[in-house]
Amino acid sequence: MNPALLVARDELRLMRRNRVAVIAFALLVLLTLTAVVTAWSHRQGIDALRTRHQAAADRAFDAQPDRHPHRVVHYGTFIFRPLGLLAAFDPGVDAFTGNSMFLEGHRQNTANFGDVRQSSLLIRFGQLTPAFVLQAVAPLLLIFLGYGAIARERERGTLRPLMLQGASSGQIVAGKLVALGLVALLAGLPAMLGFALIAGQPGAQSAPMALIAIGYGVYLALWSALILFLSALMRRSRDALIALLALWAVLVVLLPRVAPDVAGAMVPLSNRLQTDIAIARDLRGLGDSHDPADPHFARFKQSVLDRYGVTRVEELPVNYKGILAVEGERLTSDLFDRYAARSFDAQVRQNDVVHSLGLLSPAIALRTLSMAAAGTDFAGHRRFLEQAEAYRFDLVQRLNRLQANAVSYADDTARDADADRRKRVSEQTWQAMPDFRFRQPAGSTLALAALPWLGVLAAWLLVAAAALVFATRRLGGR
Amino acid sequence: MRIWMYEARLLFRARLAVGALALLAVLSLAAVGAGLAEVARQHGAIAAIAEPQKQDIAAIAAWVDKDKDAGSAAYYTFHPTWDAPSPLAFAAIGMRDVSPYILRVRALGLEAQIYDGDVFNPELALPGRFDFSFLLVFLAPLFVIALFHDLISGEREAGRARMLSALPGARRLWFRRALLRFGLVFAVIMAPFLVAAIWSAVPVGSVALIVLAAAAYLLFWIALALLVGRLGASSTANAATLAGAWLVLTLVLPTLAHVAINQAVPIDQGSEIALAQREKVNAAWEIPREETMRQFYASHPQWSGSPPLGPDFHYKWYLAFHQVGDESVARQVQAYKAGLKKRDAAARTVGWALPPVGLQALLTGLAGTDLAAQLAYQERIRAFHRDLREFYYGYLFTDRPFAKADFAKAPRFEGS
Repeated sequence: MNPALLVARDELRLMRRNRVAVIAFALLVLLTLTAVVTAWSHRQGIDALRTRHQAAADRAFDAQPDRHPHRVVHYGTFIFRPLGLLAAFDPGVDAFTGNSMFLEGHRQNTANFGDVRQSSLLIRFGQLTPAFVLQAVAPLLLIFLGYGAIARERERGTLRPLMLQGASSGQIVAGKLVALGLVALLAGLPAMLGFALIAGQPGAQSAPMALIAIGYGVYLALWSALILFLSALMRRSRDALIALLALWAVLVVLLPRVAPDVAGAMVPLSNRLQTDIAIARDLRGLGDSHDPADPHFARFKQSVLDRYGVTRVEELPVNYKGILAVEGERLTSDLFDRYAARSFDAQVRQNDVVHSLGLLSPAIALRTLSMAAAGTDFAGHRRFLEQAEAYRFDLVQRLNRLQANAVSYADDTARDADADRRKRVSEQTWQAMPDFRFRQPAGSTLALAALPWLGVLAAWLLVAAAALVFATRRLGGR
Repeated sequence: MRIWMYEARLLFRARLAVGALALLAVLSLAAVGAGLAEVARQHGAIAAIAEPQKQDIAAIAAWVDKDKDAGSAAYYTFHPTWDAPSPLAFAAIGMRDVSPYILRVRALGLEAQIYDGDVFNPELALPGRFDFSFLLVFLAPLFVIALFHDLISGEREAGRARMLSALPGARRLWFRRALLRFGLVFAVIMAPFLVAAIWSAVPVGSVALIVLAAAAYLLFWIALALLVGRLGASSTANAATLAGAWLVLTLVLPTLAHVAINQAVPIDQGSEIALAQREKVNAAWEIPREETMRQFYASHPQWSGSPPLGPDFHYKWYLAFHQVGDESVARQVQAYKAGLKKRDAAARTVGWALPPVGLQALLTGLAGTDLAAQLAYQERIRAFHRDLREFYYGYLFTDRPFAKADFAKAPRFEGS
């Protein structure tokens, strides 16, 4: 039998005999299964709730009585962000962003009612998800099982006899690596159970799932290599353990917390008050649609009159108030888009700072990969916000055009007792308005966004492997 | 005293101990520095409200002054409110990175405004802040473990344990060593905090409480380390056991408790309040306006003497149906708040069993950065909104013109 395999078998047997190791492993499996079940039921629950809320909001919109289209612009509509299937594995920022939005004319509202503002302080301790268990807890288990793999042999003086019997240092380390890798695989397996659940659902995307599976595989492999490297490097197993625990604390706990502070300090973000006031100021700069002498709107009015070859708004075949509303919404939406793009850019730059620290911490790189592939990162939330704004603009402009075409200017400006009735549009109109449907990104889009971080993790694995080779050579030299 | 010096010299000869304490000192300074920077940023944002707000009001005032309609003033003027960070906020940023500390409101329906958030980057908020509370709650125990896991077993493994325990005053020796390590960790963690606390003028009572709580928290971990150490396993096994305990107490059990609490206390009224309020507000356009006014006067009898509505649009009706809309969801709002408080209370109960949770709750509570503080801020916004409405009602229900000068008479939010 291959000496490496003999070493691996021996190492595994030792782990099995170590009661603490077995208990720790069993606990991890239990924790993962709990995480799989709770994250799965959490996602299903949230998805059902949001679907129900969305249906209620759509029903309310469709059930409106005869109304003036501009009333409906202010009545607006509520939309809820659906949660992708992979959120059952890694919910990412879902709890930290609002998940419902009120869409109306002239205004861009924030997404509200996120979990983070509705939960106790415990939410800041982390969330029990398969992703969290694999990112944070699994490496710790591997450290406990592997810190002594080589250091122990040396400490007890069994390393030399082993080599005297013909096993090369490479074979010994390879054997230990196989054993630890097998444990890592077993530790990762229960989380993959959750994957099986997800894969069975309609709409499951294979490319991002494959990328996530590979990413976590690489992550656990690189931890296995790092653990053996330090175990081979340190003279005593206790030193190896302390060094590994320190490394884990820095890479998994400390750096992910420090990174956002660094990013926040480097790239400032405008708050809502500043943005709202700036938008209002810019709008005033564009003109005042209520002021007949305003140059922008006077020009606009003239262009409309010219287009229809008439001299007065009363002669227009369409309702000028509706045309004006279309123009007004176009102007405000332009500003919303411009300011939103500025804010998104700043946030992207902040995230870039955090992600580049992924070069220092594989935990950050893996988290980035995981959220990107699951579609639960900032880009995913941004997709929702951008689709929401596009839908809002389309809906409001439909209503404004409806005002232009279905309500006459004479009725719209009339003030007699019956005018209110004549200004209204039939209730059937509202059912014909399209409902908001969030378009989930294609699997390839998600996978592509996550791919660079697989590269970073692969680089980490290469470095860890090279370090292990170096330590192995040194092992043979003594 | 000399014997203490010897012990200190002994401790400082260990590379691990010196390295750990140096790292802890750096982290401690960085955590307090990051917290102070964040609080300064928030103070800066609050101080920066006045200037653009003044320009905004001036522009609106110039425009409203043409018609002098108080309704237009009420509709277009957003009034700023803010929640200034407490002197202690630097130590525990708590929820202040995800819940707004600046919110502008106008005299329309508050339920459609009060749940709005501010702009924040969710990916930055996800891992939590790097502040004093993180250092103390999460990192300090790891340093305690590093310094205490081999306090006894290390001597045993070096073959000195029996000799040491045979010496007179052996108990005092272990006590001295533990106290020295504790004192150093405590000093390194607390020194930057105390300097910043004094500089920020944190009330003495809060500082004293935090000093006591921090000491108790460290002693808890030290006791755990000594307990594990007494079981007679090797230093290595002790380190592994303690690191496992740290993982379970600070990460696994709190996240499990979070899931359990959110399951036990479901909250989905939030968006339902917004939906219901919107229905009620918009339904006002479908019913006789007098019906709305009757409902409004029932809760605001002081304005019922106002002249009846004419055929034209009047803003007093507009503001009235917004207010009636708010009042129609008052019960749901109470239930929502009660749900939030119940979740918070449940977490505090968990804190009695899990020291990390208890300490975090204490710190954010003292710093006024927890859920309770967020709700208190909302109460202040509600009170301000009431004043604001009454101010505009005073013009609208008596048909008093609202001129440029009247903008300055609007109530101002009293920042904490």
